[in-house]
Amino acid sequence: MSEAQCLGLSAEKGSSLHSGCATVGQAVDYGFRKDQSVKLDLFNPSQEHRMLRDMISAFTKEQVESQAAEYDQRGELNISLFRELARLGLMGITIPEVHGGAGLDAVASVIVHHELSKSDPGFCLAYLAHALLFVNNFYWASNDAQKKKYLEPTLSGEWVGGMGMTEPGHGTDVLGMSTTAVKKGTKYLVNGSKTYITNASEGDVFQVYAKTGGEISAFVVDRSCPGFSTSKPIKKMGMRGSTMGELIFEDCEVPAENLLGGEGAGLVHMMRNLEIERLALSAMSLGIADRCMEIMTAHSKERVAFGQPIYKFGQIQRYIADGYAMTEAARALVYYVAHNVGPEIQNRLGSDAAKLFTAPVGKIVADYAMQVLGGAGYCEEYPVERLFRDAKLIEIGGGTLESHQKNITKDLIRSL
Amino acid sequence: MKILVTVKRVTDYERKVKIAPDGKSLLTDGMSFVANPFDEIAVEEALRLNKAHGGEVVVVSVGPKDSTQEIRKALAMGAHRGILVTAETVDSDVYARALQQLVEKEQPELVIMGKQNTDDDANQEGQLLAGYLNWPQATFASKEAGLDSADEKAQKPGLVVDNGQLTVVREADGGLEHLSVDLPAIVTTDLRLNQPRFASLPGIMKAKKKKVEEFSLGDLGVDPAPKLTYVAYSEPKERQAGQIVENIDALVDRLRNEAKVI
Repeated sequence: MSEAQCLGLSAEKGSSLHSGCATVGQAVDYGFRKDQSVKLDLFNPSQEHRMLRDMISAFTKEQVESQAAEYDQRGELNISLFRELARLGLMGITIPEVHGGAGLDAVASVIVHHELSKSDPGFCLAYLAHALLFVNNFYWASNDAQKKKYLEPTLSGEWVGGMGMTEPGHGTDVLGMSTTAVKKGTKYLVNGSKTYITNASEGDVFQVYAKTGGEISAFVVDRSCPGFSTSKPIKKMGMRGSTMGELIFEDCEVPAENLLGGEGAGLVHMMRNLEIERLALSAMSLGIADRCMEIMTAHSKERVAFGQPIYKFGQIQRYIADGYAMTEAARALVYYVAHNVGPEIQNRLGSDAAKLFTAPVGKIVADYAMQVLGGAGYCEEYPVERLFRDAKLIEIGGGTLESHQKNITKDLIRSL
Repeated sequence: MKILVTVKRVTDYERKVKIAPDGKSLLTDGMSFVANPFDEIAVEEALRLNKAHGGEVVVVSVGPKDSTQEIRKALAMGAHRGILVTAETVDSDVYARALQQLVEKEQPELVIMGKQNTDDDANQEGQLLAGYLNWPQATFASKEAGLDSADEKAQKPGLVVDNGQLTVVREADGGLEHLSVDLPAIVTTDLRLNQPRFASLPGIMKAKKKKVEEFSLGDLGVDPAPKLTYVAYSEPKERQAGQIVENIDALVDRLRNEAKVI
């Protein structure tokens, strides 16, 4: 079908044609490597992965892109769009099919985060907090009775989930946490607070880490627990398509059956889940880099200065070529590591390395894109300034760059 | 009700096609392919009818072996099984004759197809098939209530089946026609019939377990020789840059003498 016919089609029906010609936002075409997309490869290891990517990519273009700037400005989660993700069956992507999930792997989760973040990393972060930090984390830590109560409403998107680890006084130094849980009869009394928690405002249920004696234990806390409350949303630089707030526990009564695993089992749950979380965050950075590459490359061909398109200038070529090389390196690393992370495969070195390398790539490539676009990139007309603000979070959330450096060095020294 | 629905693998309309150096064919290297968007509307309609009336939705593709990807997508949307007829060169007539054989083999009550395939935009496959089968046809099916309607949000089918008869709202130049045809019949879909669903992830996982049969044209006794020969391809003319004219007189003059439109 020719471009002219394509335009005819979209003029006839606006942008409502399924996976239609109508372009979204400023981006002309997302598919940098679309012509190679039919091959099954590192990025699409099976036909199901390929189909998942096609589906989430079409969904992102048709439904996510158009609302991203508005929800960024409002600083709110688009909850009805969030529930659409549940309707597409994406909340339990890593959960075995017998329990209502898709039974897919870390690569599949990476694909969803990668594609969603080409349009709206803020919205994607709410998805990550729900699907990975709660659903995936909870699934592998819970018993049958706990699954029965909490899995169905979170898989269906009726309940929004999140996870509480970081505290006002303890971030990277997570073992120093001061939230405590003391057993009193059939309940635990939890005291303390968690901060910078994505989905805190909308969340109905959270996986929360607290100290029982000297050990870290994990609990499921829902809104029905007396003494549990959340703060107003904390205002932030980027990722405004999702909210962030505090979880507050004041003599919070958590039923003893809400302890995940045994007392002291929390650290294992925490570490296992951090690996897939770090990969998903890396994939988000990759999505930001992909989108920014596409915008700056297209712009450099259209924008004329001193009588020629600006891509002919060496200074611009450096942004484009360096950005491309960085993005491709990040892509290969993230997907390679994703093939080697799972509930039965521990790969802290890989996931830390992926995020340490990839987190700055999104930020740097967004910065390059803004530089190539000049004033236009700094304005809200293009999504670049939003993606630039969003990208910074990935150097902090899910482990700071410094925590990855600490972990990698420790693991390498330990392996000697 | 058993419904046969087509999904043709076509060149991706978001990509610019490239003409081969011989000028007589298109380069397929580096080209990406998608399901014909009008066929996706046909699949959606078939699934909605299936929900209302039960039965089976069989997805059919005629084309290269890789067309299984488009069949799988329709199966992921919810269709029950697939049939691929492998064929090298497919013109509208080969396409219609292959479908004729499948219809005679499968005996569906209804065939739903896109009104045209977006690769050649011939818009005659449904009509040819109706002719070969001597079945009634209702082409350019649309939805009277429109795509923003409550009916569409509730995923109600636009085609109405009642007592062996099918009622179809059809887009015509002067407005909408209401057609009634006896089943079995051929329906071709226009853009405003429905908005196709996304294949859900559970749908994608189920699709791999669904059956896809494969036949060659020879297996079905179809003469593979196309009736249409592509003589030459050419690029559309590049659009000229706009002009700024000084006043209305100059504009009228240019429109009359240069553009020759008034």
